[in-house]
Amino acid sequence: MNDVNQNIEVEHGRKLVSMSWDPVTRIIGNLGIHTKIDFENNEVVECKSTSSLFRGYSVFMRGKDPRDSHFITSRICGICGDNHATCSVYAQNMAYGIQMPPLAEWIYNLGEAAEYMFDHAIFQDNLVFVDFCERMVKETNPSLLAKAEKTPAPNAEIHGHGTIADIMRSFNPFTGAMYREALQMSRLTREMFCLMEGRHVHPSTLYPGGVGTVATPQIFTDYLSRLIRFIDFVKKLVPLNDDLFDFFYDAMPGYEEVGRRRTLLGCWGSFQNPEECDYRYENMKRWGQAMYVTPGIIVDGELLTTNLIDINLGIRILLGSSYYEDWDREERFVKEDPLGNPIDRRHPWNQTTIPKPQKRDLKAGPYSWVMSPRWYDADSGAHLALDTGGGPLARLWSTALANMVHTPFVEATGSSVKIHLPKSASFPEMDFEWNVPKWSNTIERDRARGYFIAYSAAMALFFIDKAMEHIHQGDVKVFQDFDVPDEGIGCGFHEAVRGVLSHHLVIREGKIANYHPYPPTPWNASPRDEHGTPGPYEDAVQGLPIFEENGADDFKGIDIMRTVRSFDPCLPCGVHMFLGEGRVLEQHHSPMLGLSGHSTEGESR
Amino acid sequence: MTTIANVRLGKAQTKVTASSHVPGIREGNAKGNVAHEPGLTPKGRGLRCTARRSTGINPDARDPIDPKMPNLTPA
Repeated sequence: MNDVNQNIEVEHGRKLVSMSWDPVTRIIGNLGIHTKIDFENNEVVECKSTSSLFRGYSVFMRGKDPRDSHFITSRICGICGDNHATCSVYAQNMAYGIQMPPLAEWIYNLGEAAEYMFDHAIFQDNLVFVDFCERMVKETNPSLLAKAEKTPAPNAEIHGHGTIADIMRSFNPFTGAMYREALQMSRLTREMFCLMEGRHVHPSTLYPGGVGTVATPQIFTDYLSRLIRFIDFVKKLVPLNDDLFDFFYDAMPGYEEVGRRRTLLGCWGSFQNPEECDYRYENMKRWGQAMYVTPGIIVDGELLTTNLIDINLGIRILLGSSYYEDWDREERFVKEDPLGNPIDRRHPWNQTTIPKPQKRDLKAGPYSWVMSPRWYDADSGAHLALDTGGGPLARLWSTALANMVHTPFVEATGSSVKIHLPKSASFPEMDFEWNVPKWSNTIERDRARGYFIAYSAAMALFFIDKAMEHIHQGDVKVFQDFDVPDEGIGCGFHEAVRGVLSHHLVIREGKIANYHPYPPTPWNASPRDEHGTPGPYEDAVQGLPIFEENGADDFKGIDIMRTVRSFDPCLPCGVHMFLGEGRVLEQHHSPMLGLSGHSTEGESR
Repeated sequence: MTTIANVRLGKAQTKVTASSHVPGIREGNAKGNVAHEPGLTPKGRGLRCTARRSTGINPDARDPIDPKMPNLTPA
């Protein structure tokens, strides 16, 4: 697996072995997991997550034309760049004071639904399941594989894999049937995405005010024909996931404790409802609650709020173990929101990023380029280290409890989410129900991902119906014109594939004065904050019981890796410029259409 | 040489006060642009589109020959 460095020390009478995975593979970016493990008691005692990558979007966005921000911030990520573009457009719409035409909103929703289907399916089947495949299980838990060989799969009639071991074999990289089918499906879902947003993963047809997509019946039917083929795949995927995950609970009693942490989940909502959404901050509660994935904060299983204004006001960016200087002496850009609520100095609208590179100190800190975003709960006075549950867990949990999404294909019930999928080539109509789980743990994060793929597919059917209503009426308006104001503020709330995404924008003199994207990974991969609260990865891995059968000498850390990967880690968005050795740095300065053309200065090192 | 935190910065290649847009240059997003498109009539928050949208050359000739026929947009 990865480079495992070992050191043994004794703390409080326990023999602890230091083990590090740095970088963690099969994720994007430079994530390091550093642990201390008590092998005698099969427990991870301490965990610290680090990132050695600094990028600086919030630094170099300043002074740019705000209309470029969705194109620039899209480059934050090579897998969910469109989520950034979309979120940036939402923030810009608010700052420009415009509302998008309904058809444009449906096109955004269809594009984003395709992205969720694409990214979740490829991550789940080609990256996550490698940790659950036959070859891996044979190396880490041979007795579990022996049991899997004898255990029939309850849904074998649907997915065609007779035993649990057959399911595990189907996920063997490059040779397994599901692994290869998922790769083919990723092509289909990418095509769907490109029909709506022009290009994957940095969309070419998304702009503030709407889209450049030419809305014809043809593109929607092209999308639909691919979607129905994909739904065939989803109908196999969900029961197959259930069979495998249920087997882990049954075969290894206590496995629910792996990656379990207190239920502290955040979801910022996705899929706008054009009938409600006017992008006015004052009305954000109303149109936030009308979203087709309900925003919400869940603490210990209770839904604290679904109000995006409350969510916005509570965001705090803390330091403590990060390589930055505090911005307490810097300018405060937004003192009050448009409703008169005070905006904290530690809120993204008021943040100034001051990087301070230094040596990593895992004992006393600082040790990461990731900051520590927290949500301030005014009632308890606590700065909550929310996680996203990899995205789907928080989205489904919030939508289920809020009971606000009621569409022909997806129905929230207050304790579950029902998903209806119509007839497709190989299967009749099928219904799935995702129930709020007992735990926020590794298995439930992974299970929710399969269900959310079904959720997105079902929602896309609804969005196509809505879009076609406009087309049939001859209404093909997809763009709202606007002027850029001299002064303005905006915030966008969306769900990146792996969880909460917010963009906060301040415009002055028609240019960006401050811009802070907060994607899911800063929340999930955050290090210990100034109050000593560990970030979600650290929290989920600390106290993790070890089920791996290898001893300390041959330890793979499979339970730890399953836990970290269950959050769908994506570090490029966790830290907002990395210049490798010998890279060429070029600067392209806008305006590009000035009298002197654009200036390009290059420097080779 | 400016130093922020412990990072030494090189000479800035542009000023933050530099213009991001040159006045006088047409902006595609500017208000009023949609209204100038032939074949688009405002309808609620949306637009009713007709066959005039098919081309900018003699667009009136693109309407259906019989007024009873549906006036359909080409795309």
